[in-house]
Amino acid sequence: MDNQSGLWSFSTRQVVYGAIGAALYGVFSWITNVIPLPAAGNVTFRPAVAVLIFFGIAYGPWVGLIAGLVGNTLGDGLSGWGFFWNWSVGNGLMGMIPGLAMAMIQDYRSGRSIGIGIGWGALGIAVGMLFASLTEMFVGGIDLSTALVGYFTPAFIGNLVVTAVLLPILMVAFAGVTSRRGR
Amino acid sequence: MLVAWKYRPRDTFIQRLDPRARLTFLACIILAVSGAQVWDIRLLLPLFILTMVLYLMARIEWRDVWRAWAFILFLVIFIVGINGLLAGRGGPTAVLQDQSAALYKSPTLHIPFTPWSITLTITVVRSFFAITQIVRMLTMAILAIPIPYTMDPSIYGVTFRRMGLPDKASFTMDLAFRFIPTLGRDFMITVDAQRARGYELESAKGGVISRLRRLAPLIVPVTMSAIVTGEEVIDAMDLRAFGARQRTWTRQLHLEIKDYLFIALGVAILAFFIAVRVLGYGEFWVPEFWYQLAQ
Amino acid sequence: MKLSEEYPLVVENLSFRYHSRPELAIQDVSFQLRRGELLLVAGASGCGKTTLARCINGLIPRSYRVDRAGSVFIHGKEVSAMSLVEVAQVIGTLLQDPERQIVASNVWNEIAFGPENLGLSTQEIGERIDQVIARLNIEHLRGRDTFTLSGGEKQKVALAGLLVMRPSILLLDEPLASLDPASAHEALAIFRSLADEGSTILLVEHRVEDALAARPDRLLYMSAGRVRYLGAVDSLPPEIDHREVKLPAPWVVQRVHQTQPTQSALQPPPQAVAEGAPLIEFKDVSFAYGDGPEVLHEVNLKIHQGDLIAVLGPNGAGKSTLVKHAIGLLKPTRGLVQVEGVDTRKMTVAQTARKVGYVFQSPTHMLFAPTVREELAFGPSNLGYSRDEIEQNVVASVAAVNLTGLEEYPPLGLSFGQQKRTGIASVMAMRSMIMVLDEPTAGQDYANYTQFMEILCGESGEDGKSLLTANFAATLFITHDLDLAVTYANRVILVGEGRVVADGPPEQVLRDFELLQRYRVRPTSLLRMNLDLLSKTGRFLPAEALAVYA
Ligand SMILES: Nc1ncnc2c1ncn2[C@@H]1O[C@H](COP(=O)(O)OP(=O)(O)OP(=O)(O)O)[C@@H](O)[C@H]1O
Ligand SMILES: Nc1ncnc2c1ncn2[C@@H]1O[C@H](COP(=O)(O)OP(=O)(O)OP(=O)(O)O)[C@@H](O)[C@H]1O
Ligand SMILES: [Mg+2]
Ligand SMILES: [Mg+2]
Repeated sequence: MDNQSGLWSFSTRQVVYGAIGAALYGVFSWITNVIPLPAAGNVTFRPAVAVLIFFGIAYGPWVGLIAGLVGNTLGDGLSGWGFFWNWSVGNGLMGMIPGLAMAMIQDYRSGRSIGIGIGWGALGIAVGMLFASLTEMFVGGIDLSTALVGYFTPAFIGNLVVTAVLLPILMVAFAGVTSRRGR
Repeated sequence: MLVAWKYRPRDTFIQRLDPRARLTFLACIILAVSGAQVWDIRLLLPLFILTMVLYLMARIEWRDVWRAWAFILFLVIFIVGINGLLAGRGGPTAVLQDQSAALYKSPTLHIPFTPWSITLTITVVRSFFAITQIVRMLTMAILAIPIPYTMDPSIYGVTFRRMGLPDKASFTMDLAFRFIPTLGRDFMITVDAQRARGYELESAKGGVISRLRRLAPLIVPVTMSAIVTGEEVIDAMDLRAFGARQRTWTRQLHLEIKDYLFIALGVAILAFFIAVRVLGYGEFWVPEFWYQLAQ
Repeated sequence: MKLSEEYPLVVENLSFRYHSRPELAIQDVSFQLRRGELLLVAGASGCGKTTLARCINGLIPRSYRVDRAGSVFIHGKEVSAMSLVEVAQVIGTLLQDPERQIVASNVWNEIAFGPENLGLSTQEIGERIDQVIARLNIEHLRGRDTFTLSGGEKQKVALAGLLVMRPSILLLDEPLASLDPASAHEALAIFRSLADEGSTILLVEHRVEDALAARPDRLLYMSAGRVRYLGAVDSLPPEIDHREVKLPAPWVVQRVHQTQPTQSALQPPPQAVAEGAPLIEFKDVSFAYGDGPEVLHEVNLKIHQGDLIAVLGPNGAGKSTLVKHAIGLLKPTRGLVQVEGVDTRKMTVAQTARKVGYVFQSPTHMLFAPTVREELAFGPSNLGYSRDEIEQNVVASVAAVNLTGLEEYPPLGLSFGQQKRTGIASVMAMRSMIMVLDEPTAGQDYANYTQFMEILCGESGEDGKSLLTANFAATLFITHDLDLAVTYANRVILVGEGRVVADGPPEQVLRDFELLQRYRVRPTSLLRMNLDLLSKTGRFLPAEALAVYA
C-alpha cells in the first residue's frame, strides 16, 4: 500500500506479497482445473489471471513476476501436471509487465486507473502469452500458425476477457481495503 | 476439498538424490530436447527410455498420478492434432518441403458458414514427424511429472538458495508453500458463506461475462483478506529480523558422489545433443520401412 | 538517562499520529517498566494499544514513516536508533492473530525463523529450539505442520518463535483473542511464569477479568490515546469506565453502587414455547468429514419458536459442524435434519437459506461488494426477491444494526466491528425466520460487543421486543464467552466431543460446574454472582442489573 518506495525495490513487502500472490494464483488456477467453468469454443477462461494482473499493478513488477512464475508452477504442481517452464515464464511476464504501471495508479477506484490497469494488463497478457506460444514451437515442435492460432489467440482472448471483467472489481475492492489502513 | 500437496516420503533412489542434482538434470534434458532442436528419433528414443526408467524408479502410486497422465496424453493428442491440421510454414525444415507420398487423404471438409474448406492429408513424413513429436514431449513430461510427488515442499527454499538465488527470493518459495493450504481453506469457507446467502455457483444463467462476474463473491473476499493478512505478516517478519543479515538455512543439503554423477550425466547428454547439432547431424529422420507404408 | 539504565523499558511523553488521520493515535504517554514486571494495558478498541506497542518495538517510526514525539528507551537506548537485529533480540512481539505471525509450513522451521535471520550457527539454533520446546513443553508439536495446529497450539508455537530469540521484553497484543477460555488460561499462566523468570512483559488485553489470572503488577488504562490510570489492580480505580473493558462482576456491582443503581435495558428473554411443531429438528444425526473420523454422534435436537440458544463447548467440539447442518451446508451421514418438517437433503442450500440465515464467524470471508447497500442486496437478490422488497429489507437491516449513513461506504473499508455488523445485516436482509450466528462477538472488543449484543438482544424501541425476537422466530449463537450465555440466552446447549451433553435454561445447565469444567468452560465471576443471587433475582442478569440485589 505504499507506492512511494521504488518500482524495483525488493524488501519484506515484495517477499510477502510475492508469496501470497503466487499462492493465490496457484490455488485459484488449481481450482479452475477442478470446478467446471464457462468456455467458448476452445477458449477456456482462467479467472486467476485477473488476480495475477492485479497483484502486478498493486505491488509492482517483482511481485507480479514471482506471482506468475511461481504461482503457475505451483498450480501445475498441485494439479500434478509436471512443469511447463515456458508457460511459467510467460505467466511471469504477464504479471510483471502490468507491474510497471504501479506508480501511475493512486486512486484504485477512478475510471482512469482502471483503464490503465486493463491497458497494461492487456499488454502483459499479449507479451506473456506470445512468449509462451512461440517458445512452444521449440518445445512442442509445432509450427508458427499452430502457435498463433492454436495457442496464442485462445489464451490471449480468454485472459483478456477475464481481466476486463474481474480486474475492475478487484481494484474497487482494494480501494476499500486501503481506505481502512494506509501506511 | 483440501488443497493437499502430493508429496509423500518414499525411500527411493530418486528421493535420496539431492534436489539440486535433480533440478539441474531436469534443466539439462529440457535444454537438450527443446533447445538443441534434435529431431532424429534414433537419438530421442534412448533419452525417452532413460527418463521412463527414472519415472518408474520414483514409484509413484498410480491412483495419485493417473489424472496427470490423462492430461498429458490429451495435450499430446491435441497438439499433434491441430499441428497436423494447420501444419504449413515453420517447424523443422524437413517437414517444410514435404513432398512425400500421402498415407491417407481425407474427403474435403467444408467449414460451415465459411468459404474455406480443408483436406486433411497425412503424408509419410508428417505422420512420422508426429511420432517424433510425441516422443519429444513425453520425454520432458515424464521427467517433470514426478517432481511435485517426490520433492519435499519444505526444501525448495534452501534448494534455490544453494543454487545461487538471494536469501529473500529463496524464502519467497517457502512462504508461498506456507500460504497454499490456508488460502485453500479460506476459499472453501467463502464458498460456504456465500452459499448460505443463496449463492449458487452451478446456476449457469447468462453468457460468459455474467458468469465470470458471478465469481467475484468468491475471488474478492479470499484475495482481500489475504492482502490484509499480508500487512501483518510483513510486520511479524520485520520484527524477527528478516532480511537484516545473511540468513542461516538450518536445513542442510549434501551433494554426494551419486548426485555429481547424476549431474554429470545430464550435462553429458546436453553436451552430446549440442555437439550433434553443431556437427550437422540430428536432422529429422524417417526410417525406410515407413515409406513402404505408402505403397 | 540514569533512570533508563535500571529500567529495561522507559517511555517518555510519547505522541504519535498516523499520516492518514487527523487526530493523534496516542498522546504524551509516559511510564517505565522494571525487570520482571508484568504490565496490563487495557482500553477500548481504537484507544491506541497496538500503536503503543508499535512505538515500543520500533515499527513506528521504522515501517510507519511518520514523525513521533517523545522517546522510547530500551535498556537506555532510543529504539529508533537501534537496528532491526538489535530490536529483534531484545523485544519479542506477539500479534493478536497467531495465524498471521506464522511464516513457515512446519513447527520446527517456524521456531527457527528468527535465529536463522540473525545468522546464528545451525548448531546453536538447534540447541535454542530444544530449550524453548522444553520450556513451553510443546515437544508433541515439534514435527507438526503449522496448518494443522489449533488456535491455542498456534499461539504457543508463535510464542516459542519469539522466546528462541531470547528477548528481555515481551509485547503481547491481545494474545487471548482467538483462544477458548481454557487455552487462554494456560497462556496466561505461561506469561506469568515468564515474568517471574525476569522478562519484562506488556500485556494488552481488554478482558481485564481474564487477564487478572496472570497477576499483573500494574494496570495501565488508556482511552482516546491518553493514559487515564496507571497503578495497582487490586480494586477498581475510579478512572476506569466499566463499560469499556470487561471487569470482574463484583467490581462492576461495587461501581454501580457508588453511582446509583439502574435497571439495564435488557428485557427478560421471552421463554420458549416448547410445544408445537419444532422449527428445526435433528434426528439421530451423525456426521464425518469425507472418510475422516466421525465428528457428530447421534445428535438429537429440537429448536422451537422463541428459542434464544447459546451453544457452548471447547474448540473442536463440533459446534460449527452441528449448526452447518441446520442450513444444509452439511448433510448428515446418518440420521436426518428437518427444517419445518422438510428434510434438508431434499432442499438446495439456497432454498433452506430462505428459512435459516447463517452468519459465518469472520466477515472477511463474505464481504465483497463495492458498497454496503449492494452487499446487503446480494442475499435477497439471490433468493429472487422483487426489487422493492430488496430495497425495504436493506433499509430495515441497515437500521437494525445501526449502520445508517454508511450505505454507500465500501464494506472492506469499515472497522472490524462494523464489518461484523454488515455481515449480520446482509443475512438479516434475507428475511429468514431463524438466525444462526457463529461466534458473533469474536475479535471484537468488550465495549463493542456488549453494545452489539444489546442491539441484537436488548429492547429496540417498539413494544419492548428485542431486534432478534422481533425479526426471528428463533435465534442460535455459538460462543466461547460464557457471560453471553448467562446474560442473553434463554436456553443453553453444551456441545462436547460431538454430542449434546447438556440442554436447558441457563439457570439449570450452568449450575453444574463439574460438567462445565469437564468441557473446558470456565465459570466466570458473573456466573458465580448470579448463582448466589438467583434466589432473589429468579433469573440470570448482567452485572449492572445485579447491583439492585447485591
Ligand atoms: N495503520 C494505520 N493507519 C491509520 N490509522 C491507524 C492505523 N492503525 C491504527 N490506526 C488508528 O489509530 C487509532 C489507534 O489504533 P490502535 O490499533 O492502536 O487501537 P487499539 O487500542 O489497538 O484498538 P484494538 O483494540 O481494536 O486493537 C485508531 O483510531 C485506529 O483507527
Ligand atoms: N472442513 C473440515 N474438514 C475436516 N475436518 C474438519 C473440517 N472442519 C472441522 N473439522 C473437524 O471437525 C471437528 C469439529 O470442528 P468444528 O469446527 O465443528 O468445531 P467447533 O466446535 O466449531 O470448534 P471452534 O470452537 O474452534 O469453532 C474438529 O476436530 C475439526 O478438526
Ligand atoms: Mg490492537
Ligand atoms: Mg466453530
